[in-house]
Order: sequence, then structure tokens, then C-alpha cells
Amino acid sequence: MNVKPPNWPLRFLRWFCSEDYLEEIEGDLTEIFISRHEHSPAKARRQFFWNVLKHFRPEFIKSLKLKPRYNPTIMIRNNFKTSFRNLVRNRNYAFINIAGLAIGIAVCTIIFMIIQFQSGFDNFHSKKDRIYRVLTEYHHADAATISYGKNVPFPMPTSLKTAFPQLEQVTPIYASHNDELQVLDDNGTPVKNFKEKTGVFYTDPSFFSMFDFPLLAGSYASLKDPNNVLLTKEIAETYFGDWKTATGKSIKLTGTYRVGAGLFQFPPIVLKVSGVLASIPANTDFQLKLVVAYGTDFTGDKEYGFQNPDWNGTAPDYGCYVLLPPNISVDNLNQQLKEYSRKVQSPEKKDSYIIQSLSAVHYDTQTGDYSNKTISRQLLNVLWLIAAFILLIACVNFINLSTAQAVNRAKEVGVRKVLGSNKSQLQMQFIVETFLIVTIAVVLAAGISFFALPSVNRLLELSLSFNVLNNPAIILFLLTVTIVVTLLAGFYPSIVLSRFNPVNALKSKRATGNAKGISLRRGLVVFQFVIAQALIIGTLIIVKQMDFFMNQPLGFDKEAIVNVPFRPDSTASKLANYLRQQLLSVNGVQAVSFSSHTPVEDDNDMWSTFKFNHAAKEEDFQAITKFADNEYVSTYKLQLVAGRNLQQSDPTKEFLVNESLVRSLGFKKPEDILNKEVSIWNGLIKCPVVGVVKDFNDRSFRQNVAPLLITTNITMYRQAAIKLATNNMSSTMQSVKKIWEQTFPNYVYDYKFLDDKIESFYKQENQLSQLYKIFAAIAIFLSCLGLYGLASFMAVQRVKEVGIRKVLGASSGNIVYLFSKEFIILITVAFAIATPIAWYYMHQWLQDYAYRINISWWLFAAGGLAAIIIALTTISFQAIKAASANPVKSLRTE
Amino acid sequence: MKLHSIGEFEELVLLMVAALHDEAYGVSIQDALVEKLSKNINISAIHVALKRMEDKGFVKSRFGGITEDRGGRRKKYYVITALGKRMLDSQYELRTELYKMMPKISFGR
Repeated sequence: MNVKPPNWPLRFLRWFCSEDYLEEIEGDLTEIFISRHEHSPAKARRQFFWNVLKHFRPEFIKSLKLKPRYNPTIMIRNNFKTSFRNLVRNRNYAFINIAGLAIGIAVCTIIFMIIQFQSGFDNFHSKKDRIYRVLTEYHHADAATISYGKNVPFPMPTSLKTAFPQLEQVTPIYASHNDELQVLDDNGTPVKNFKEKTGVFYTDPSFFSMFDFPLLAGSYASLKDPNNVLLTKEIAETYFGDWKTATGKSIKLTGTYRVGAGLFQFPPIVLKVSGVLASIPANTDFQLKLVVAYGTDFTGDKEYGFQNPDWNGTAPDYGCYVLLPPNISVDNLNQQLKEYSRKVQSPEKKDSYIIQSLSAVHYDTQTGDYSNKTISRQLLNVLWLIAAFILLIACVNFINLSTAQAVNRAKEVGVRKVLGSNKSQLQMQFIVETFLIVTIAVVLAAGISFFALPSVNRLLELSLSFNVLNNPAIILFLLTVTIVVTLLAGFYPSIVLSRFNPVNALKSKRATGNAKGISLRRGLVVFQFVIAQALIIGTLIIVKQMDFFMNQPLGFDKEAIVNVPFRPDSTASKLANYLRQQLLSVNGVQAVSFSSHTPVEDDNDMWSTFKFNHAAKEEDFQAITKFADNEYVSTYKLQLVAGRNLQQSDPTKEFLVNESLVRSLGFKKPEDILNKEVSIWNGLIKCPVVGVVKDFNDRSFRQNVAPLLITTNITMYRQAAIKLATNNMSSTMQSVKKIWEQTFPNYVYDYKFLDDKIESFYKQENQLSQLYKIFAAIAIFLSCLGLYGLASFMAVQRVKEVGIRKVLGASSGNIVYLFSKEFIILITVAFAIATPIAWYYMHQWLQDYAYRINISWWLFAAGGLAAIIIALTTISFQAIKAASANPVKSLRTE
Repeated sequence: MKLHSIGEFEELVLLMVAALHDEAYGVSIQDALVEKLSKNINISAIHVALKRMEDKGFVKSRFGGITEDRGGRRKKYYVITALGKRMLDSQYELRTELYKMMPKISFGR
């Protein structure tokens, strides 16, 4: 009968109509439908629907009492049993399935933990919703661009308190860098030296009424008085052995601070430990180590320090946090702040102030935070995406293998159907089977993540721990993954399997609709390889760009140069010449130069506005200003294109500039700028240009070469650059260390090789490239796992075909070709899809760098070729096995 | 036992069941009624009437054999019971009696 009543109304009827009347009603309706269908099919269908609806009345509706049909627990127990037997019987498939899923889920779990950690920053403060930080909104000269900085003018905190009495708390905070500390014994003599690169904060007690950092001993209020310091438990233990005895002890601190263009230092001060803070959690941007009372040292100085009432004065990492009262409009407050900034600032300055909520700080990669741990939401999203894709690849493997295997299980399904199972029971059985596999995989994945976490922590500098008790969200996540993957991976195969027609299945006819299944499977393989190849190509490009970062000539010498910082105090200036003589006498030291900065710095430069050639107005661009002695050019092998090198002199007498500055000023030839006067710092330094150096990369590859001024000034030198001979480097370094410690007995010797420093500019890129390598490897591994399963299945399916072909004269090569051909086509299709996707995203990524590689075609070719080779190797095991099998064996039995 | 009452539509269906004798099932009843009354009757109304009358004991039913043209569903045939016949008889008597009581009125042509 080819005329059938519409499906949905019929289903509805069957659903609501009681068994007693269903047959009669359905029969009558069908009869009417069929007779009407001849006249007008559409009308007949409509009428059928109406008739069904009209039967929807109490007389015919099923009674609501559910009839107990079977005992589901026994059935499910049986499902588990048969599923388990099935897994044991098909060990190979089960292994591939479980291994693939476990790896996919492990990757997801680790990414979940990373994201959970990253999005939980500063989440533990009880007042977190009301904490805001004040940002400076810089309006640049060209008006169109606005940027934000976390530094605020020195008078900001105190004046906010008076101008905005509604603010509950206003806290100044200063994060200091590279502090030298000496632990003093009871007589005040130094016992041990320490250097803290970060972690020394200056703030007042209001900080602790805003943020929740518990105290173990002492009081927060002690920070009201200058020269008190709180230590964290860890620091107290390193300094004093036991944190309980730390309170009341003394430490000597030599702190430095930068104001505007210069690095300054006050004489060392003695601090009294007035309390101990509990360990600082890893997920906060305030990685406190020592908290010094605000008002101590330069933070209390009205003339040169932070109490200076000048609204132009600020220091990097000098910030201000405010605690808003509940229910205040942030927009409104921002508006008032804007008006207020007009009032307090000198009229020519256009900067204004704005508040930003604490929850946004961790994601604000532009502005940054105090721990340099900001992460963009975009990166987190990419991580999510990769996690989802890898999980999808694993699910696809599963779907592929189970539908491929379905044919083998057709008989089982047939027998079950004949014995009375209905579709939903069969689907239940396969879902249970999937569930079993997924559960095993999840348990394995938990194990894998547990063992992989330490390396992930090392790579990404995190401190994640797979501690279920502390982090119940992991359990929840794993449960969700179990359910989602079970449904995702089990749903389609269960439908396919339960759909078999028992008659065909038992007659061992191949199930109908197989062609469709194969095209779906092909689609899934293509999908897997699109992701895998996109990741491979992306990784190749990132690695190439990383290689470019490391090996592209910068325009100066960075090999075997070690930088040793020294203190910016007057003794260092006096000692400079002595130090140079001492160092040069060491065997293996080739050159020594003192300078404020190395040739390349990453956002650590001193920028100056300047007047050129007695102009009345300052130029509309700024130049990086470096102070360096006459050895700078030769030590770093800078090239002069015009004029001569600087001469040793103490009051600043001459400038070197770079080509970029010459161009920015509009000169065509570098010679033209010679002997013209440059004036910086409001005329404090005024002298002629004596030479032009060839452009070298004075910033990271993210940015273009900036205009540059180099001049001498011994009080500005902060580090020695020592060029070493490449042999016996370690013994040379030993001698350097010895000289250093003799010269500066009170300070910790510390050094960094220039190429390491340059490498550290690209730390995030490096981490990203490592991550991508791992992800690409996992993606290709999972895809190949699926491919292997599919190929082995095909080999089993086509064993007779292969036998016949061999009998008819096909060589082993022909058979291998037969197997490989299809997969090569699939991978080529995947390649065609992956290439534009990868190109687009990597092109976007490369736009962040002013200096970047060209995406050349061979990168894609290499990616595609790699995928094809890996895939062919995977298939070849099965293909060769099938090709070398004896055809007699496969053809003998029918 | 008190005799159940019968509605007007039910009476029509019951009459038709009796008339179609042994060939009465949902669709045939509907077709016949539509033909006689020349108005549209929905099959659901017939099913409801049949169900109610079966509950009251006016008709009884049996299943026929499987036929292809009903999607493999059996027909449910209805026949009138003695009780149903008595009901029809009493209705018929009542009506004739009342009809006879009607004075010979001329409606004036």
C-alpha cells in the first residue's frame, strides 16, 4: 500500500487513544483517508488530521494509570552484562574507542581546569563586586586613539577621598620591583641578602578592608605607621626560618621607584615586621610578598616621592583602588570623575579617569595588572574551542567505529527484535553500552589529567592541582562530560542499530541504507581531518614565527652578552670606572658598556618628548631615550650610518639618533641631521646630534622600530653589558660574579643573558606554540585512531572482494592502492577546507606583529603532506595485511 | 432494570446499525447516514455514539478480518441487541402514538 496517512497525526492518535478503541478508529480513519486521497491528497491529509483531533476526547483517551510493563532494573542490569561481554569480545575496537575518548576527555578536563582557574581570579574577596580600580584614560595627540593605563597621578587617592566622600574606601597601592632586602639580626647587622623581583607592595590598612587576605599575626592597623611591614608566611619562613618568630624583627630595604623618565632611589631604610599574612592564593593578581606601610620612604616624601601634589607626577605601577558603596551607578560616577579630572588637571592635558571593576582586571591584557598574569578572553575562548573540537574528534571516532561495527551486530539486533524488543529498548541497550565505554574513558581521563597536570603547570607556569575535594566542580564537569559524550556519541549509532529490519538482518543481507551511513562516516572523517590539519598548519606557522623571533637579525649583536643590573645610587657611579677596569681584566671579557637600557626592551623604555633645532613647540611624537656610554655602540655592534660615536663625557654633551627618528623628522639623508640641537626634559638636556645609527629593532617584533635618542649620563646607568668570548664562558662568569660581589657586597648578584631576555618577550607566544604543538599532535593522533579503526573495519568487510581481486590477478600494490585511494581523497577534501580556515586565522594572528613571516604556500603543502603521510602510514598496516592475506582462506567459506 | 434513554443522533445511528445488519461499521454507517440525511457527519460523532450505545447495551460488536485497504486494521462490526431493538420499538410506538394524537389540522395551502 503506497498511500499512507500522515505520520504525525497518526502518532498522536496512537499516543493518546486507548488500546480498546485504537484499532477501530485508526482503521476507520485510514479507510476514509484512502478513499479521499484519490480526489485530493492534501485535503485528505487535512481531514485526517481533523478527524484525529476530533477523537481527542475523554471517551477515547487512555487512562492515566501507567501499566507496569517490565522491570527496568533487570533489563538494565542485563544491558550492562551484554555490553561488557561485547567490549571484551571486540577488544581492539573497545581499546581504540576508550583510548580515543580518554585522551579527548583528558584534554578537555585540563583545559577546563585552566579556564576555571583563569576565570576565578580575585573571586574570593567578599566585597569583590564593589571593588574598582581607577584607570587613566590617555587621549593621544592624534585625538583618535584612547588608551588606558593603571597608573594614576600621585594626588589621586587623597583627593578622591575628599572629592567623593561617598566612596567607602580609597587605597593607594604601589608595586615595587627589584627590591634588595637584608635580614638584620638583633644588633642591626645584616645577616642575609635577598632580592625580590616582584611582590613588594606599598599600601595602607584600607587595602585589607577591601580585599580578603587573612592575617596570621599582628594587625593590619600597624600599616598606618611608616616603616612597618607585613610579610607573608612563605617570605617570613625564608627570611627568619619560622613565621611565628618573625614579628618584631627588622629588615633593611633598598627600594627603587621610577618617576616619569628616571629610576630613583632613597637611602636604605629599616623596616619592622609588624605582622604575618597567610599564604596568598595563586588566583589573585596581588601576589603579595612584603606589604610596606604606605608613607614609608619615598611613598611619604612630599618633594621627590609619592606625596607630591603635582597632577602630572606618577610612577609605573602606582595605582588606586576604590570600594564603592552598594547601589551606586558606576556610569554616573565615571561621569563625575570625568568632570573632576577637568577641574584638577592643567588645561592642556586631556587625560581623564575612569573606574574599572575588579572582575575585568584579569582579562585586561592592554592595561595589565600587578602580576603580569592577565589573559585575554579571546585566548580563553580559543582554548574552549580547541577543547570542544578535540572532544568532538573523539566522539566522531566513536560514532564511526560503532556504526561501522553495526553491521556485525545486525544479527544480534535481529534476534532481539524477533524476541520482542522494541526500538526504545534496543536504543537503551546501545546507550548503556556507550555509557559504559564513556565511564571507563572518563575514569582513565581523570588519571591522565592527574599525571599530565605537573607538566602543564610547568609549561604554563600555573599551579593547578587535581584535588577533587577542594574543587568539586571537576566532578561536576566530569559527570557532565560523561552524559554529554554518551548522548553525543551514543545517540546516532543507537538509532542506526535499532533501525535494522529483523528479517533482513537474520537473512544476513546487508542492512539497507548502508550507503548513507558510509557517506556520513566519510563526512565525519573529513571533519576530523579538517580540524587536525588546521591545527597542524597553525602550529607550523606559529613555530615559524617563533623561529623568526629568535633568529631574525635585530640589527645589533645579542650573542654572548650578559647584562648585570646595579643599583642606581651614587656609589655605583663612582665605582663605574673601577668596575670596568676590573671586568676588562678578566680573561674572556671582550667589552664592557654601562647603560640605562639594553638596545631592545619590551614596554620598559623611557620615552621623551623633545624639541628639535630650537623649535618653539615639541615634536608631536616621542622618542625612546637610552643613556649609554661610549662603549655601547661597539659592545652591541651597532652600525653608524653618519657622523661619529658619542664621546665619554659627564654632563650630557651629545646625542646619537636612529634612522627612524631622522625619517620622522622629515630628513631624507641622515647627514642632514648632524649638529642640529635636540632638547629633552623641558630643556634640562640640550645638545647636538653627532651621529646616526642604522635602524635596529629597539622594541619587540610586535612593534615597529621607534625613534631613538642615545646619550651619555653616568647617573642614569643601571646595568653593565659584558660581551664574553664564547669559550670558557662559565669560568668567565665565575670571575665576573666574584668581582661584582666584592664591589657591591650589600646586593644580590643577578644577571641575564641578552638572548634569554629577548626570548622572554615572547613568553606567551612560546607557551601558545607549545600548547598548539600538543593540541595538533593529539588531534592528529585521535583522527588516526579513528582512521585505523575504519580501515581495519573496511579490511574485514571487503575481505571477499580482496580475495576475488587477487584471484583475478591484482597485485598487493593494487590492493594497497585500493584501500589508500579513498582515504587520500577524503584527506585532500579536508585539506581543501582546512587551508582557507587556517590561513584566515593565522593571518589574523600575525597581524599582531609588526615584523612577521609571510605565510608561504609550502607551509600548507607541508601540513597537508604531513597529514596524508601520517594517515597513509596508519592505513597501510591494515591495507598491507589485507593485501598479503591468502585469498584461498577468505574465499573458501561462504 | 431501567431502560437507558437514547439521544436523537444515537437513535439514528442505532437505526442505521439495524438497517445495515452485519455490515455496520464506522465508515459504512457514516456513508449511509450522509447519503440519507444529506448532511456532513463526522466520523468521531459516530464513534462516540457507538461507544455509548455499546455501554448501554443497545449494540454489540465483533472484529472482522484484516483487510489491506485499512492499513491492516480490522473492521469492528456492530449489530443491534434485543435491548436495542426494544428501545427502537418503544421509540417508534411513542412517536406513532403521539403522531396519532395530533388533531387533523389543516395548514391551509
